[in-house]
Amino acid sequence: MIRVRRLSHSFGADPVLKDVSFSLEKGDFVFLSGPSGAGKTTLLRILYAALPLQAGEVTVAGINLSRLPASRVPLLRRQVGVVFQDFKVLPRRSVEQNIALPLEIRGLAPKHIARRVMAVSRALGLQDRIRLKCGELSGGEQQRVAIARAFVVNPKVLLADEPTGNLDRELAYRLMELFKQFQAYGATVLFATHSEDLMRRHPGAYFMRLEKGRITAADWPGAGVFTGGAERIAGRDAGGRTARLYPAGRPGRAGPAFPDERLPPDGSLSADERLLPDLPRQRR
Amino acid sequence: MKRIILRLIGRGIADLALDPAGTVGALCAVTLTSFLAGLFFMLLTTLDIRLSTARGESIFQIYWREGVNMELVRRQWQEYVHLPGFRSVRTYTPEQALEELGRRIGRAGGELDKSFPFLAVNAPLPATALVALSPTGPDPERWFEETLTYFRTQHGVARVTAAPLQDEFARAWKRVGNYVLWPAAVLLLLAQALSVGNTVRLAVRAKEHEIEILQLAGACNWYIRLPLAAGSAALGLAGGLCSLALLLLLQDRLGEALNFPPLSLRLHFPSARIVAALLLTQALTSALAGILAVRK
Ligand SMILES: Nc1ncnc2c1ncn2[C@@H]1O[C@H](COP(=O)(O)OP(=O)(O)O)[C@@H](O)[C@H]1O
Ligand SMILES: [Mg+2]
Repeated sequence: MIRVRRLSHSFGADPVLKDVSFSLEKGDFVFLSGPSGAGKTTLLRILYAALPLQAGEVTVAGINLSRLPASRVPLLRRQVGVVFQDFKVLPRRSVEQNIALPLEIRGLAPKHIARRVMAVSRALGLQDRIRLKCGELSGGEQQRVAIARAFVVNPKVLLADEPTGNLDRELAYRLMELFKQFQAYGATVLFATHSEDLMRRHPGAYFMRLEKGRITAADWPGAGVFTGGAERIAGRDAGGRTARLYPAGRPGRAGPAFPDERLPPDGSLSADERLLPDLPRQRR
Repeated sequence: MKRIILRLIGRGIADLALDPAGTVGALCAVTLTSFLAGLFFMLLTTLDIRLSTARGESIFQIYWREGVNMELVRRQWQEYVHLPGFRSVRTYTPEQALEELGRRIGRAGGELDKSFPFLAVNAPLPATALVALSPTGPDPERWFEETLTYFRTQHGVARVTAAPLQDEFARAWKRVGNYVLWPAAVLLLLAQALSVGNTVRLAVRAKEHEIEILQLAGACNWYIRLPLAAGSAALGLAGGLCSLALLLLLQDRLGEALNFPPLSLRLHFPSARIVAALLLTQALTSALAGILAVRK
């Protein structure tokens, strides 16, 4: 679902990512850890095409970023949900309008949009807030709106850049549960955080550690909360690293050749059937 | 598709209400800019109309001797109407001239008579006529000299003054007017476009956060730009209409304020074509600025 090979990136003469390689399959949930300044945000920004690909090969949700013209970037964005530390909700618009945004962009009929928004906001415990303006919500609620907005289109890939960084610990734990739901619906989640605390709460989770632009550790020790499947465990190599996480400088372990997938047709969410089934009610 | 386009246009216009302070600020800026442009056009139009109507017109002021036979003078006046190139004539008998003088001084003629009874009896002002004529024949200068001589040699005429200057100036204006008017109009529209465009651009920049979110959610270019263009065009058009209203008000209040001698300037509203050009420029440049303000 996400394949990165020999990715390097620099701002001016400043190398920020150095020869990063890894690969995530459908349904993986991986923490991207590392101190601040390590290059986590830069990596994620490359993955959703907010930064140009300078060196290396990247495929996200079957879209090859090295051959992605600017006009095709929206197609990628429709497959990839992004959640940020600073929420990025529209403060002057209602919760409903915020969540409906990606559906409207896809040109869905209003009645489908309303149904879908209702289901998702119920799942995220926002149903009472739906008419409020986002600016009137607390930080935790705003982040929930942002998650709902990513969730509502059932993205193949979810990228989260320290989404709990602005929230207190209790709230952060609760939001983590929401992210786990993404995975439950088959999304591949790459969750950047520098919080050791959050990761300690999820000891079984896969993680990948980035330091000074290099992957220094990558592992999923045993069956964790977010295991993606048995074959993943079978793929572990002797060093505790997996066949799908390629430490820097060892691109030879690239595994399967890069599939040259073609871009999906426009309106990736072709029909209502591809929408999520009704979501379970979120306990608060 | 049409439904989405209409919805986006509607949203762009409705979104103006999201930030009332910003919208009002931008609207004021746009209104003032186009008001200034409109005012300039109004003055230009006034000047043009004034000079065009004065075009080829010379005014002869004819004074008769005192004590001349008024019957005879009146008959001469009636003949002026039949002169070639005749445009207008204003005449004053000595009494009328006195009355006019009294009005100018600010008192009724009758009172003036009472204050200065000798004036009424002796009527010191001569009979006068102001004749406006257009030149006829191929040589206006020769025509002017001939006409001057004609008036001077009339019976009982003391002296004739005439201002060929106005005629010259008008003809000069006729020659260069189009070279001045159109470049000025184009420059003005350009200046207006630039400043209105910049105002709109700043207003759109304030929405950068929203644009970023739309881009992250996978909105394509036109989906982002269409509402901005629609909203901006509405803003520009509204500003143009507001400035038009201001100009109409101005003309209503001040249109006649300068209409006294020697200026005799009546404010003229710019032609419908210019007004339409102003509004169109405004709407188009606003829309364009709205589109171009989005950074990739
Ligand atoms: N747009 C940019 N221009 C220049 N340098 C940048 C830019 N973005 C990030 N950097 C630099 O790249 C390094 C990695 O930044 P970042 O990816 O944000 O780290 P992290 O998210 O892990 O904290 C930092 O040293 C930062 O200063
Ligand atoms: Mg960061």
